[in-house]
Amino acid sequence: MQTSLFEIFKIFFIIGLQLLGGGYVIVPLLKKYIVDEKKWMSEEELVDYFAMSQCLPGIIACNISTAAGYKAKGISGAFCATLGIILPPFLCILLLAKILTGIVNYETIKNAFWGIRISVIILIFITIKELWSKSVNSVFTYILFFAVLATFILMPVSPAIIIILSAVTSIIYAKVQRRKNG
Amino acid sequence: MVKIYFLLFIEFLKIGVFALGGGYATLPFLYYLQSQYNWFSTDELTNMIAVSNITPGPVGINMATYTGYTTAGFWGALIASVAIILIPFFIVITVVKLFNKLSNCNNINYIFTGLRPASCALLTSIGFKLLFQAVVYNKPEWSFPLQIDLKAIILFIILIIPFSFIKKNPILIILAGALGGIFIQNF
Repeated sequence: MQTSLFEIFKIFFIIGLQLLGGGYVIVPLLKKYIVDEKKWMSEEELVDYFAMSQCLPGIIACNISTAAGYKAKGISGAFCATLGIILPPFLCILLLAKILTGIVNYETIKNAFWGIRISVIILIFITIKELWSKSVNSVFTYILFFAVLATFILMPVSPAIIIILSAVTSIIYAKVQRRKNG
Repeated sequence: MVKIYFLLFIEFLKIGVFALGGGYATLPFLYYLQSQYNWFSTDELTNMIAVSNITPGPVGINMATYTGYTTAGFWGALIASVAIILIPFFIVITVVKLFNKLSNCNNINYIFTGLRPASCALLTSIGFKLLFQAVVYNKPEWSFPLQIDLKAIILFIILIIPFSFIKKNPILIILAGALGGIFIQNF
């Protein structure tokens, strides 16, 4: 069966529209549309691609769409899938940004956004709690966490530099550990 | 203007490569952009986070589109959104093509044992910085005595207690904050 590029774009556009609340939501949607309905890939491939998407740089939902599109129809498939997944958020944000700049000076809207600022802080703290419980669990990770926190609070360095230094530290730590264990 | 487009492109290319671990990982980078270029205010950035959470799509793309739009209109939005996915796009294709799959990513997993706590620590510092800015309204920062915004503290406590017990639901939290804000400010 010949898969058309428009078909790929359409399916990922539909998935993009339904994507609310973080990258992980995309997995059940891909299972429904790509694995069960279109049969462009198997469930095992979906699991593999999801694991891979988390290990590579980039936005998880975009990575997994690129991989799924590539699997369906090579580079042009990957392009159409990625375009499909980012177009709905792109258009929604453009529309909302236009509307918001028009109404943001009303007193009630201002008060609502004042409250939403507190909501965002709570959302960030809930995310920190999730990340912490998944990642900070050994002496090495504790030390790294507090070292990065102190550095970033005290010095105006770019987060990119911190990420590179943390990667280098992790590699050295893994090498030392391996040598210790023979 | 061309210079802004170019800077936007380079900065979001960087974010695409280095922001690891979900949409919220882009936030430390965006606050860093804010402090470097002053393309938007921290309050605007916080509003963008809220809007990104209640619109469909990956939060990272939403944030790129919105910050790009605020900085340089439609073309800014387009450049930021394309830049953030460009390098990962080619990395993913290369990996799928060469290996078909990354053998459970065990080979690079040990790098992530350090990257995840680092990403978490970056976000933590942003969280505390935002909390400080919301609760204390001194300008410039750190001038004493601190002027505390009691209303903000009350709303923070009212919201954090129920929401730390239930499953994470961004839309509900933002809705509650909006209603709480309208209510408390009119008290």
